[in-house]
Amino acid sequence: MKSKERTAFILFCILPTLLIFSVFIVYPVTQVFIKSMFSSSGFGGNQEFIGLDNFVELFKDDVFLKSLKNTGFLMLVVPVITLFLSLVFASILSFGELREKHLYRTIFFFPSILSFVVIGILWAFIYHPNMGIINEVLNWMGLDQFALTWLGSKDTVLWAIALVMVWQAVGYYMVMYLAGMDSIPRELYEAASLDGANAVQQFFKITVPMLWEIIRITIIFSINGVLNISFVLVIVMTSGGPNNSSQVALTYMYKQAFVNANFGYAMAIAVIVFCVSLLLSFISNKLTEREIH
Amino acid sequence: MKSVFGKMVVLLAIFAVILAGCSNGKEAGKEDTPAKGEDANVESKELEVTVFQGGYGDAFWKQLAVNFEKANPGTKVTVTANPDIGEMIRPKIIAGNPPDIVYLNQTDPSGVTQGMIKEHGFTDLTDLFAGNALDEAVPLKDKILPGVLESVYMSPYGDGKIYLAPYNYNVMGLWYNKTLFDDKGIALPKTWDEFIALNQVAKDNDRALFTYQGTVPGYLEEILIPAVYSLGGQEALDQMLNYDPEFWKTETALTALGIFEKIAKEDNALMNGTVALDHTQSQTSFMQGKAMFIPNGNWFEGEMAEAPREDGFEFGFLGIPTFNDNDPLLALNSIEQMYIPKGAANPELAKEFLKFMYTEENVKLNGELTKASMAIVGAADLVADYLSESSYNVFKAVESGMYSMSGNFAPVPTGVNVDPREVLFDQVASIMNDDMTIQEWADKMYDVYSKVAEKKE
Repeated sequence: MKSKERTAFILFCILPTLLIFSVFIVYPVTQVFIKSMFSSSGFGGNQEFIGLDNFVELFKDDVFLKSLKNTGFLMLVVPVITLFLSLVFASILSFGELREKHLYRTIFFFPSILSFVVIGILWAFIYHPNMGIINEVLNWMGLDQFALTWLGSKDTVLWAIALVMVWQAVGYYMVMYLAGMDSIPRELYEAASLDGANAVQQFFKITVPMLWEIIRITIIFSINGVLNISFVLVIVMTSGGPNNSSQVALTYMYKQAFVNANFGYAMAIAVIVFCVSLLLSFISNKLTEREIH
Repeated sequence: MKSVFGKMVVLLAIFAVILAGCSNGKEAGKEDTPAKGEDANVESKELEVTVFQGGYGDAFWKQLAVNFEKANPGTKVTVTANPDIGEMIRPKIIAGNPPDIVYLNQTDPSGVTQGMIKEHGFTDLTDLFAGNALDEAVPLKDKILPGVLESVYMSPYGDGKIYLAPYNYNVMGLWYNKTLFDDKGIALPKTWDEFIALNQVAKDNDRALFTYQGTVPGYLEEILIPAVYSLGGQEALDQMLNYDPEFWKTETALTALGIFEKIAKEDNALMNGTVALDHTQSQTSFMQGKAMFIPNGNWFEGEMAEAPREDGFEFGFLGIPTFNDNDPLLALNSIEQMYIPKGAANPELAKEFLKFMYTEENVKLNGELTKASMAIVGAADLVADYLSESSYNVFKAVESGMYSMSGNFAPVPTGVNVDPREVLFDQVASIMNDDMTIQEWADKMYDVYSKVAEKKE
């Protein structure tokens, strides 16, 4: 009797969340899947059911394949560099004997509170080929041949965008790691240093394993973050150029949906992005699984 | 435990009531709107005008609305002007509650007009233009510049029906710094060979020959369309604009594309970093004297009014060079588009509003407030006093010998997921970066056009 009441109570409590979740998440996502099988302009009329044709077309569309490749590149490069740097900075700030600790903490976190659009505009000017600070400095040092058109060449544009994303996110994850590091017992480090372990060994043998659960979460956060942030940065900084070299899956989806008025086709892209990110989260979760003692 | 449970029940009940209240309100609102729309049709005479607020501002529309209300007592015109008007009206159109009049170009990044064309979402305006003008006893269509209503801008489906109404008339071509050319006695290029030859002069004057709106390469149609016309005449141009794949196998196509290759290959011809710059950045660089020529339209001076510039900078309009010594310079024109969406609450009044807009008085008002000329016969003379010097010179150049041609890519058939025009100009960056040859460019376009041609049948 008591357990029945308890179940009713639990159901009762999750009902509002479930309701909101269904209306704002489940319903739109199902719509995406349904719309991906139609040819439509997104303006209401003239919907034609075409089955999986959109998907067949997609894998023949070289711009889409390029955008998928670019997204994959960013998803691989950005989380690895970001999380590694965040860990290093966090441990330096946590254990290092720096007097300006708090100042650095604030400075590193600063980009995280800026809007992505502002960051995009800011960096577009930093990379500006003729008056950007990077090329000005390079020219001043006499390294003219290295003063490239960072956002205008297919070889550099993705790295340039990746750098902005790393710069933006390092502080955010650093703060997360700092919080985690504060909870690691200092005795472990004392014992390790008595046994003769140096700072690097302590980092890999104590800090990283103790933070592992947090690192796992940040990996998934970071991969999904790349998906969203790259959209804004690409729109603001390059509009996908030069010749689609910086096109990412979401910018291409947006372009197809709202510029070319191919709404069904865009939804097919959304479906693929959905599957890919789900798959990646799953894989990274599995790969980083460890037994917790 | 029990009392907590009881409280929860009450709380949830309140929550449910609020939710229900909200949703009821929405439902009621939804039902209300069409009813109100029907009413408006017969009684209240309300008109919702939404306009793109770009280089021409919104002053004209506000004033026009006031004048229209005065001339038609009992009507009420609401004007909404915004640079992102497309994003603002999209949800309204999808919800089946579109504004009565829209002024928004096909090339707008929101893609709304593009989508409406695909969707066949316009009210037929053929009868409006067949009927008499408001201030003269001639059919309205006779007042519009010849050829405009029949063009793909206004009759997108080629079925003889007019679905879009013309607004301002734009002329586009290459621009230069007039002061520089006058002071140094530099001769203006008439052919593409002379143009390329000016590279040395550009170098001597410490600037590149050419720049363009790198991340918005669509501006280059102002060069490519006239170039194709110059080489192959209207026939070749029609082939390109109507997606005939064979066009890309012709010598005409390769020679026209060759202009961009020459600019890419010649040292100093392309301004450093152009491909990475957006339109504002590249236009500013041009005005600061970093490049000698840039493509743009007659709105240039108004658009860049606030931009920094080199000493003595003065806008000069060249037009587009040709491939033949004896041909007149070319310029590409385009016409701003207005339309009444299908399902607008008040289409008849909207047509009256358009008719009202084309009266002589309002053409003048438009000239005064937007510094531009409507696509009306004799409009350029009517508004001559108001035009900025540079844009007056553009219209004057077109009147005196320069050939102003029109050309617009045909709408793509449904089921085609690529925009051939976009693919065409996206490749320019690869040409400029020397990642691609023009043969590869032409081959790529052949493939894209073939796909379009397949769906056309």
